[in-house]
Amino acid sequence: MLFLACKTGYASDGVSESDYYQELPVVLSASRLSQPLSDAPNAMTVIDRKMIVASGFRTIADLMKLVPGMYVSYYKGSQPIVAYHGTTDQFSRRMQVLIDGRSVYLPPTGSVSWADLPITVDDIERIEVIRGPAAASYGANSTQGVISIITRDAGSMDGKSVSYTKGDKGINDVETRFGKRGDTYDYRMTLAYTADNGYDSLTTPPNGYTMATFKAPGLLNNSNDSNQARMLNYRGDYHPNGIDRYDIQFGFNHDVQGVGFSDKNPSIYNSYMGTNGDPFHDLIGNSDYAQLGWTRQLDHGAELSLRYSHTRLDQYEAFPVYLVGVYFPGPVVQSMQSSRDEIEVQHTLPLSDSNRLVYGAGYQIDRAGGQSAMPPISQYYSSSYVYSEYRAFAHDEWRISPKWLLNLGGMFEKDDLGQFNTSPRIALNYHVTPEQTLRAGVSVAYRAPSTVETSYPLLQPGALYIPAPVMNSPGLQPEKLVSREIGYIGEFPDWATSIDLRLYSDQLSNGIYLSSTAKSFVNGMTGEYHGFEATVKHEFDQDNSLTVNFAHAWAASNGVLLAASGQKIMASSDPANSDILAASIPSNSASALYMVRLPHDYSFSASGYYQAAMQPFDRGAIDYQPIERRIDVRIARALALAGGVKGSIALVLQNLLNQAYTEYIASNLFNRRGYVTLTLDW
Amino acid sequence: MISAKKIPAFFLLMLGLLCGFAKNVWADDFRILLVLSDNAPLYQRFAKAFEQDVPKGMRVDIVRQAQDFDSQKTDLIVSVGVRAAYRVAEKSSQPLLAAMIPGKAYAGLREVKQGEATAIYVDQPWRRQVEMLNAVMPKRKRIGVLYTDAQDIAGLRSELARRQDTLVARHLGGRDTLSSDLEEVLTESDVLLALPEGEIYNANSIRNILLSSYRHGIPLVGFSEAYVRAGALCAIFSTPEQLALQTANAAASYAQTGKLPEAQYPQQYSIAVNRSVAGTFGMVIGSDEAIFLQIKKSSGDTR
Repeated sequence: MLFLACKTGYASDGVSESDYYQELPVVLSASRLSQPLSDAPNAMTVIDRKMIVASGFRTIADLMKLVPGMYVSYYKGSQPIVAYHGTTDQFSRRMQVLIDGRSVYLPPTGSVSWADLPITVDDIERIEVIRGPAAASYGANSTQGVISIITRDAGSMDGKSVSYTKGDKGINDVETRFGKRGDTYDYRMTLAYTADNGYDSLTTPPNGYTMATFKAPGLLNNSNDSNQARMLNYRGDYHPNGIDRYDIQFGFNHDVQGVGFSDKNPSIYNSYMGTNGDPFHDLIGNSDYAQLGWTRQLDHGAELSLRYSHTRLDQYEAFPVYLVGVYFPGPVVQSMQSSRDEIEVQHTLPLSDSNRLVYGAGYQIDRAGGQSAMPPISQYYSSSYVYSEYRAFAHDEWRISPKWLLNLGGMFEKDDLGQFNTSPRIALNYHVTPEQTLRAGVSVAYRAPSTVETSYPLLQPGALYIPAPVMNSPGLQPEKLVSREIGYIGEFPDWATSIDLRLYSDQLSNGIYLSSTAKSFVNGMTGEYHGFEATVKHEFDQDNSLTVNFAHAWAASNGVLLAASGQKIMASSDPANSDILAASIPSNSASALYMVRLPHDYSFSASGYYQAAMQPFDRGAIDYQPIERRIDVRIARALALAGGVKGSIALVLQNLLNQAYTEYIASNLFNRRGYVTLTLDW
Repeated sequence: MISAKKIPAFFLLMLGLLCGFAKNVWADDFRILLVLSDNAPLYQRFAKAFEQDVPKGMRVDIVRQAQDFDSQKTDLIVSVGVRAAYRVAEKSSQPLLAAMIPGKAYAGLREVKQGEATAIYVDQPWRRQVEMLNAVMPKRKRIGVLYTDAQDIAGLRSELARRQDTLVARHLGGRDTLSSDLEEVLTESDVLLALPEGEIYNANSIRNILLSSYRHGIPLVGFSEAYVRAGALCAIFSTPEQLALQTANAAASYAQTGKLPEAQYPQQYSIAVNRSVAGTFGMVIGSDEAIFLQIKKSSGDTR
């Protein structure tokens, strides 16, 4: 900067030696750069912008279909289930999900309300998915893995953009985004409305079932599953000098989704004089977040960062009920509030050229509570829980030699409930050659019980689980997972191919399940998961690439013993497999994504998804998922219009061949759907 | 081979050697006036190294601020930096050795400078830069540049063509179009080669340039160590000390021969590689030494 000042005053063309010797701020610091796969202590899948666009997906959860071994399905049209191997109930409680480092895995259910996330797929720069536990870095609740969503930088756009999507199944999305890059402040903002009608209302039974089965009370009619979300998000980046960086984020989402079932509703398909405490109604969610981050570059590549975040989700529903055939119009009203405030400080310290230490500490307060008013049965209650947790963590990356890399880390967590967990991890990477890496790792992870598990509500009308006012499982222990894995990463530059392989064996102990006898959650499930995963990427040329993912998995548990001892909930619905955990994992699954840039500004992509048959964990035999296959295609053309306006028009066809593709609930039949997106940028 | 023109110089040198006092032939009377652009650390580093590198006995006087220079009687003026060079050209017609000056700035200087002059450039020849690209990332064949009229990229184009690489060049539309012009280059390129263009690459803009290129998965190749620290993949550059040594040698040669050598590119240079950035881009890159030797070999640098 000093040098810049002396550039004036002579008659050259403006190029001077000061350009060659000026000081510059460190932009791509260690925390900005993603770790190379060959140095990572875990298996990791990265879904970048190109893949996000090429996949054609409208939802974040669907993108997880591109991760080997990931189970992505839907309880309702806007209630995805994302789980990494097994134990796939409606609340995938064992995955940690972060947006820019902020956990969106919220109490009280301890799951992610995907429809309420205040970001769209277009706000995402990339998603890094850690396959396997990463509690040493990400804390409790990352027992199965971590989905880390990195949103676009504040400075990622300088201009304005509008896009409109219209398609089948009521798909109707409008997004406007704008941003500005400045010398010291960049920002971007998104305003979006997304809507769809979920699955079709079926007129013929799915999976070859008879009409009689289809109308039977066991099969959920899921046709009320529309979703409308109105959201806003903002990201600002203030960088007054080359040393400090301030990240300012906030967002809001107002979501209205159709929930409830008609199967037991006497007025619909059957004359069954049943009880339906969850008829068709709306579930309204308001969520917001604010995040402030400060990062300071220190000398010698060290970095200090501080982050505070606040996340909130409030949900509300009101609906009539049927009690033994009697209709009660006076509504049951339920509301639920959950929030998290979190602060974390982290110091990245290169101890030498070959050793880097990251350590820090954090504190969080979770609040969970709700109100349930059930006039037809004169039941009223409210509940309120507050938990706080302290944690400290350290991670050391030590390049012992050019060939050997040791990753050693640990997380120490202490909460109000008296739990103190230590989650260590050790991973050793051996670079056989610069292009070939072998990795071996062992880690331990815990999952803290969620509020709904410690305070399970005995009555559950509607879609929300309002925690009971008093804990009924106060002594619930965290689940423990010990994971061992061997990985291989190979780059074959001569063939433009990379290969990522993983072999794992995970042991679950103290598994939490709902006791049929105690009517509350208890510890006592044990299980083990084993599997093999592969990702192969090949670039035919710079405009033409293919990614193929494959996973083979199997599991075993004490489900048979538990079922025999009277725990009906642990009885497998799969006649071919009496182990509920084993039955709930597809033995094989695969996905492939092909992308090509064509002449005349066209681009084309095709993706295929395969999942072997399985029995969803907490569903009846009627929801058995047969083999699923599906092909999606996307064709797009870039546009260059008058006045510097650019854009694109894209057509996406999902389930192109209209194969019978059902998700989690048998009536969630994913028929072919198409949509067109027009985007204009200026 | 010794050309006819060089015979007197050669003869004198031989004579000096024969007489056994070659090193001291000028010792007591050869004076160098070193004119720095200003007293910034960069020029101080040059001056310190230069004083150590000139043969013993030569007298070096230093003007630490270019504006303090007024025609002073000396045997050779060595200017450091563009500002010093222009000040000397304006005030004096004595022989000038303009060190640490971009080739383009020196061409402009020649139009106003009276009398003898030569230069030690600060910039690296295109060939060397292209050989570095090839040594570090041979598979990345589409080289993107964003430039203004201050740069003549014809030389770069022909060097790239020689290696069957493609130049993706985009002329900067204006100050406001930097973002969109950059996006266009990044979409078409495999690597972005930064050029010393203050209007495009400066301490304020580098942040967005590096972040944009990182988002596109395109590495930036810089032209100084500071670029590599900031987040560029690699850079080839000469340090002030390396330029000072070459300048001292040129001064010594002038003292011996009475003739200024041709304007020349840096003979000594260094490379720097940001290994974290390389890792992020999934690049497997050889050691600094291996890259350096390959550049040296393929660009025909003998020293």
